[in-house]
Amino acid sequence: MDKATKPIPIVNPWARPFWDAAREGRLIIQKCKECNKNIFYPRIACPYCFSDELEWVEASGKGTIYSFTVVENNAPSAFIQDMPYVVAIVKLEEGVQMLSNIVGCDTRELKCDTPVEVTFEKLNDEFTLPKFRPVKD
Amino acid sequence: MSKLKEKVAIVGIGEVPTGRFPETAAIYHAIESAKLAIRDAGIHKDEIDFCMPTASLFSPQFNTELVTCRVVEELGLKNCKKNCQVFSGGSSSSCGLQMAGSLVTSGVARTVLFVHSDRLGTGVTAQGGIDLFSTAGISAEWEVPFGQHYSSIAALSTTRYKYETGCSDEQLASVCVSNRKWAEMNPNAFFRKPLTIEEVMASKMLSTPLRAKMSNMLFDGGAAFILTSAERAKDLPNRPVYILGESGVVTHFVYSQEPDVSRFGWAKAAKEAFEEADLTPKDVDVAEIYDSYPIYQLIGFEELGFCERGEGGEIFMKGDTWPGGKIPTTTDGGMLSKGHIGAGGAVSLLVEAARQLMGKAGKRQVEGAKIAVETATGGTYMDAQVTILGTEIP
Repeated sequence: MDKATKPIPIVNPWARPFWDAAREGRLIIQKCKECNKNIFYPRIACPYCFSDELEWVEASGKGTIYSFTVVENNAPSAFIQDMPYVVAIVKLEEGVQMLSNIVGCDTRELKCDTPVEVTFEKLNDEFTLPKFRPVKD
Repeated sequence: MSKLKEKVAIVGIGEVPTGRFPETAAIYHAIESAKLAIRDAGIHKDEIDFCMPTASLFSPQFNTELVTCRVVEELGLKNCKKNCQVFSGGSSSSCGLQMAGSLVTSGVARTVLFVHSDRLGTGVTAQGGIDLFSTAGISAEWEVPFGQHYSSIAALSTTRYKYETGCSDEQLASVCVSNRKWAEMNPNAFFRKPLTIEEVMASKMLSTPLRAKMSNMLFDGGAAFILTSAERAKDLPNRPVYILGESGVVTHFVYSQEPDVSRFGWAKAAKEAFEEADLTPKDVDVAEIYDSYPIYQLIGFEELGFCERGEGGEIFMKGDTWPGGKIPTTTDGGMLSKGHIGAGGAVSLLVEAARQLMGKAGKRQVEGAKIAVETATGGTYMDAQVTILGTEIP
């Protein structure tokens, strides 16, 4: 069987700046100008105070692994050739959570709450995915 | 307090076996289940004035047939005023029950037929099933590109739960064993051979720490129930199964946005449902807890208040949830042993709750069961739905 093509993000127009920044190797999130809360994923109005006054800010790219799993079998078609791969929920220093992959690691040494930092992996000319790797001491 | 409390009742149930039936059309599972439910209720088919089919996932064509009144025509429901789909994925049981109850208490409908059928066992290939469940309900922008799918989702909840509570893999496996003990006595269940913790632990690793025998499998099947007013229910042959309390919490769409993937909204929904019913977990005779993976049954069991957080694994292991145990749990075998039929996984559990309260559960009947709790959740565990059912109006 041919390798299935990797699914690309189906982008909502208001999230476009996030993907443009990722392509440039920058991780940005939204911040509400009224209630000052950090927001991810991008919204059209603040999900806390409902303000329209949202701005984009640079995230530190640092966070911790909230939870993770090593996918060893029964992956979706497009990811079969990647097994084993790590799916994780990363909690950024800014307080927001995002799903990603942990790369460049010994999967046997992964633990919840391990510090990680962002790294970028190009998917194609249009999309680069923010991924994370354990912070080296 | 909602207006459903003690005002409506499930009066009939129907179900077909869960399995792989390549020669059987999906509509059969729907109309056979519905027919059985109508006969079980002891009503004439023409009493049904509202048909509520929930969604089938295996085929958009078949689902469109459900939406466009096929069940009504096949059964000849000539007094049916409306056919309308109610669907919230795995929580369609609870949402359908509340919607049907609301229609009856408001007077829009008198007698509602709720029916589910699907062919996820033979209508899609095994890899097709994995691929369907790596997109259905999973964010195409924020999660699909990272290889997220339902095994990895359950594994993420399991990893965090183990980290916070110290629960062992063997304790998780014991949830599967508990459900199998019930399924052994359920003629409609697909997996009926005894299962051991060792067998679960020896099965293939899917997404760490989740193994193949900790994962549900997809099958064909269907179930249905009839709901009417408490007043009408008194004249019908079955012991009425009243709604005594219910609540729900919607927590997320994108799974990774859930701030607590090892608790979700169960505690709040359970507290509100038990308060409405003026009951506590101690009053429950049978607990039908949604179980697509053992972690979710364990979380549901604990958050409902049957024990403290982190104690559930030991309780499942020592047999309190087994046949003859103190808290009979997921007594049809659940999705882990009866089999996962899509939205019908929880419809089966709701039908089983009613069956136990009607005293019609055969070999697995819980002696004198009067109060049941049923839970359901859809999508990536996006909501926590809790319903308290009982045979008597207190």
